[in-house]
Amino acid sequence: MYSRALTRLLDWTLRLDVAINRVYPEDFNPLYYTGGLSNLFLTVLVLSGIFLFLYYIPSFNDAYISVQFITNQVPYGQIVRGVHRYAADGFMIAVLLHFFRNWFTDRFQFSRDEPWISGMMLLLFTGFLGVTGYVLVWDERSQLLVAMTGRTLGAVPWIGGYLQSQWLGSAGVSNLLLPRMLYLHVGLAVLLYILLWWHYVRIRHPKVWPPAVWTLFSLGLIFLLTGLVPAASQPPARPDAVPSSLAVDWLFLLPYVALKVLSPLVLLALAVVITVYGLYIPYQLPETPAALGIRDSGIAQVIDANCTGCELCYYDCPYNAIVMVPSPHPGVTKAAQARKLYAIVLESRCVECGICVGACPFEALELPRLLESDVQQKVVQACRS
Amino acid sequence: MTDRETRYGTWVAILAVVSFVAVVAIAVGEFTGQRLVGGAAVGVVLLAYSFILLFLRKGGFTGV
Repeated sequence: MYSRALTRLLDWTLRLDVAINRVYPEDFNPLYYTGGLSNLFLTVLVLSGIFLFLYYIPSFNDAYISVQFITNQVPYGQIVRGVHRYAADGFMIAVLLHFFRNWFTDRFQFSRDEPWISGMMLLLFTGFLGVTGYVLVWDERSQLLVAMTGRTLGAVPWIGGYLQSQWLGSAGVSNLLLPRMLYLHVGLAVLLYILLWWHYVRIRHPKVWPPAVWTLFSLGLIFLLTGLVPAASQPPARPDAVPSSLAVDWLFLLPYVALKVLSPLVLLALAVVITVYGLYIPYQLPETPAALGIRDSGIAQVIDANCTGCELCYYDCPYNAIVMVPSPHPGVTKAAQARKLYAIVLESRCVECGICVGACPFEALELPRLLESDVQQKVVQACRS
Repeated sequence: MTDRETRYGTWVAILAVVSFVAVVAIAVGEFTGQRLVGGAAVGVVLLAYSFILLFLRKGGFTGV
């Protein structure tokens, strides 16, 4: 049933691609660049965040005032604040699109489990970063978020009290809270880049940046929204009373809305189940070629005599399964005799896709159980029939 | 010129005018201290440029 649902979702995703490709040239299709768009928004967030960091004061008495100072007194402060706020929304939307697109198009299989796992963590941290960002403003919404989060953490069996005091900085809300939030906000942003490295490390030629059309469009939209709907704070937090209503940001604060109908413990359990399931997705479907009902071609083999060390297979392998090493001896063919490098296939990474075979113009790679000559024969037979 | 080139060329010209007006708005916003107007106008310029790039491509003036 899961497989059928996934097939249907894949079909819809591809139909959407085709529809968008009718409007945009194929290399401008924004759905091909959801990862790059996320990266663009993250860069904008970091740059605007550094600006805001220079003026922000993480204390109960001064946090709200410093945010107001940034907004009203600092030259271009209101624009930078708005850019930071809308880039955060853009980042979340791009990350979610990236997540669903890769899920529906099965891009978590074979050697792509590492990008998937790191991507799940990026998604989690992004949500948490959004919440800490809202707390830093220290208005009524921040106060309510702190109280709701504290109550939710307090509901964890056995260690709830400990988690709650770690979140708040002491048994109750204390002056340690905002420095802690600032550290979590900035520290996790740094951690995002470490996770991004992990996200990219197994992907050959990742599209880390969108095309100019979408870079300009995204930045333009952020600035336009900043001017038309300026980012604003709620009334300042009051230590004597916790507000009863939450100004909702549906992208980041959805779990807090769920607290209206779910108990904190149920919400936490649900969050754990969703997270664990998300991490399990790459391993849910069968992965062996036989179980998937596809050919079992065998690990790609380099034909020593023909390899010229040209690196074309190395660049084309999407799984980083080919490394180039100094050649221990010259090849046999004329083109291979002067080689300085030699290709080696890493068995643990090869998914037997055959891309390297197509990339090699010197017939120096073969799939042992699906030889090029066999494929040619099958094509010829198919054409004749 | 083909129909396609004329159609997209016209849009490019219109967007160029729009972006010029937005640049004037940036200057006005800056001189009058209304920086949000300037910020929105920067957004309009960038959006206009993005569509100019798209229409140049679709009109066959650039790219493949």
